[in-house]
Amino acid sequence: MISVIDLTKRFGAKVAVDHLTFDVRPGVVTGFLGPNGSGKSTTMRCMLGLDLPDGGSTSFQGRRYRDLAQPLHEVGALLDAGYVHPGRSARNHLRWLAASNGIARGRVDEVLELVGLTTVAAGRLRSYSLGMRQRLGLAAVLLGDPQTVILDEPANGLDPEGIRWIRDVLTHLAGQGRTVLVSSHQLSEMALIADDLVVIGQGRLIEQSTVTEFVHRYAERWVRVQSPGSSALGPLLEAEGATVTHLGPTELEARDIECARVGELAAQQGAVLHELSPQTGSLEDAFLKATSGAQEYRSASWGGGQ
Amino acid sequence: MINVVRSEWIKVRTVAMHWVLALIAIAFPLVITILTALFNGDSADFDTRSLLEVLGGTSVVAVLLLGVLAAATVTSDFGFNTIRPTFAATPRRLRVMGAKVFVMVTYALVSQAIVMFLGVVIGGAVARGKGATIDLGSYGPAVPIIAGTIVLAGLMALIGLGVGMLLRSTPLAVTLLILWPLLIESLIGGLLTLITKSGHVLRWLPFRAGFQLAGAGGNDGDIGSPSRLTGGIYFGVVSLAVALLGAWVVNRRDA
Repeated sequence: MISVIDLTKRFGAKVAVDHLTFDVRPGVVTGFLGPNGSGKSTTMRCMLGLDLPDGGSTSFQGRRYRDLAQPLHEVGALLDAGYVHPGRSARNHLRWLAASNGIARGRVDEVLELVGLTTVAAGRLRSYSLGMRQRLGLAAVLLGDPQTVILDEPANGLDPEGIRWIRDVLTHLAGQGRTVLVSSHQLSEMALIADDLVVIGQGRLIEQSTVTEFVHRYAERWVRVQSPGSSALGPLLEAEGATVTHLGPTELEARDIECARVGELAAQQGAVLHELSPQTGSLEDAFLKATSGAQEYRSASWGGGQ
Repeated sequence: MINVVRSEWIKVRTVAMHWVLALIAIAFPLVITILTALFNGDSADFDTRSLLEVLGGTSVVAVLLLGVLAAATVTSDFGFNTIRPTFAATPRRLRVMGAKVFVMVTYALVSQAIVMFLGVVIGGAVARGKGATIDLGSYGPAVPIIAGTIVLAGLMALIGLGVGMLLRSTPLAVTLLILWPLLIESLIGGLLTLITKSGHVLRWLPFRAGFQLAGAGGNDGDIGSPSRLTGGIYFGVVSLAVALLGAWVVNRRDA
């Protein structure tokens, strides 16, 4: 269990994290989302005491990170795969980390095996790709077999096999009852692995909920209908207060109306239905809507986007 | 604490550049001393004092490199951001800084002790082979010069670590550690001498005072220099102050 309470961090006049409060429960993967510059990485650094917060606190199972005698046994964190010395080998990188927390040398080889880097463990890290460094970072996280795992953009640079692998690792860790907090910009990936979400914007909490609740709250919902009688059905739906968009001669989308009600009206009309399905926007849609007022950096429209 | 010391030692010995610097620091005084013994050993005035002066004098350059090496072990942590996993693994930052000090000061002391031992043994043997009389027992300051040079190496490592913690940048730290003793102190000393019309302030320039430990301090005639002990203590206090200030700053700043 991670508890972040009233966490605040300023860089000069800029408030990077603004009285942020949230909990991360064990046994599930919690996604940590926010636009660029929203304060996710700063929050994670503050949680680990790397950036010194101006206010608030973070506790892991009720204890401050600073008070953990051998933190790698309790909290494994991967904040940036680039935090390595390029002249050192992967094995030696893990060895100094392991030694700092009294972890046996044998465990280094175990985690190298787990992440698939055994054959290149003696190679200098300057020759590693970003994906290989991500794997090394995950090996470092697993060194102490921690109860809590914190990862900042772990899928960056990974190939499709690597992304699937890290998804399996995270769900496996959560399935073992561990607390897993993961930030990512890959919302489609997050939709697959996260159970809970913490969404922030401009350093403030926007939403903490399950993924399902978040999408339900923020994403658009509509009913898709395919019917030879859709042209007659449209006015009926509009009369019920729905907003109807005709996509073709036999196809329409209806908003602001329940799927069941559409079915009832179609039955009253005697219309044959080839499709009647409730539709929900994606996590990406929900995220963009939820954070629309908290975008630090906004792109110009290139057409086609919403 | 022992785990953190082990961790820091692994970090030091698993980067090739650290070994290159250490090798130069060890080889330079040895090579110069042995070559001097080889070519001047048959000179009538080459004796134990000559041997130790060459060894101590060249060791001053070597200990500067040890200071640079010590600084680099800190600045490379900041430069490559490995300081973050370091502090994530050991949140008590002063423990990390303490471990770095222990490792690098010990490293400097041991490597300089090796230099002095090999310099005296090999350089002495070469000089004797050329006909010189080398007898440490007959030259009173021999042990103080040897011990002082070893202590100087430890103090250089200490101030190097402090400078590294304060500046966090390898180029800046290296530049400062090389230019301060070799150039900046001379400029400051000259300026202060002009202003005060006295050269006595020179004795309180830290590196100048510290180099008295190796018996290589400037012989300023009527101006004088601090004694080996006074200069060593003064430089030790300055080095400790810089290291403590560096550790305090690291503890107070974002990693």
